[in-house]
Amino acid sequence: MKVQELMKTKIASVDADRSVYDAVEKMVDRRIRSLLVRFPGKDLNHGIITARDIVFKVLAKRLNPRDIKVSEIAAKPVVCFDKNADIAEAAALMEKKKIARVFVCEGEKIIGVISLIDIMAGALITRARGNHVS
Amino acid sequence: MFLEKILSLSKKEQEVTGNMRKHIKLLCSTCDLFKTALEKDDRNLMRNLIDLERESDSIRREIISKIYEGAFLPYLRPDLCRFVEIVDHVFDILGDTANYYLDGKIPEQIKGECFRVAYLNLKICEMFLITFEALLKGDDLREKTLAIRIYEKKIDDIKFSLIKDIRKIPISNFWEGKILSDFISGLTTISDIIEDASDYLQIINVSMK
Repeated sequence: MKVQELMKTKIASVDADRSVYDAVEKMVDRRIRSLLVRFPGKDLNHGIITARDIVFKVLAKRLNPRDIKVSEIAAKPVVCFDKNADIAEAAALMEKKKIARVFVCEGEKIIGVISLIDIMAGALITRARGNHVS
Repeated sequence: MFLEKILSLSKKEQEVTGNMRKHIKLLCSTCDLFKTALEKDDRNLMRNLIDLERESDSIRREIISKIYEGAFLPYLRPDLCRFVEIVDHVFDILGDTANYYLDGKIPEQIKGECFRVAYLNLKICEMFLITFEALLKGDDLREKTLAIRIYEKKIDDIKFSLIKDIRKIPISNFWEGKILSDFISGLTTISDIIEDASDYLQIINVSMK
């Protein structure tokens, strides 16, 4: 099964120069665990910020999230995968890099994101399909 | 061949299951045609969909008349007829949605998401065909219906984001807005009905045991 079949195409994002507080507000409001961090330039130059980054690098250290920019704690560049790649390859890459999501790209453009739950859903669908080629 | 064995299929019954399979395969072709016409913005191709809807009506009539001519045990007939009606309802919605598409214009901002729903509609339909084939073979349907629900959930998520997005699109008059709203509603309802039909397959499967 190709990653494009199960990827999410709505990717919530935040500009790199915004504060961590802005990112927290957006993530809590939308109940999501990560945001794409938009740096100037090409999509592949973007980064990612996760709830884990915010809690461990800012809140647990009792730093003020309003004083820290998203760009300071974002991980970059993002890990990208071709839209025609197999979901098993994405899972292997996530395991290797110990990450919970990979972005899906078409050329140099980010078009979606695949997370752990999507990999599990993909595994169920592949099993349900059995020998049927889709 | 669970269903076929239990019902020791007579010629009439074989015709019914054959036509049911044909009906669902036609549904897959119709979803594929809808997706291609939408992606290519090909209005002529979209008009062909209306012909497929008519073909579906004729298959439905054939199945139901064969059932009432005496195919299958009487207690099974209402469920089988209901199932065929639900499948036919998907064709009706596809036809209506094609007409809304021909009447209006999809705004650029939501085209990508609409293409994605059309793609997932095709995928859910293919899984529905696999589920039907599994019923005929007597296989367990649990995994298949779960896969259908996964696809349906994906489409539901896109639906909510589409509804949010269309609120931001300027509309020049009432009819333009209504047609766009009906188009999105139709596009995102197809998977709901296929999910209902797959639930019905499960009911038929259970009632056989």
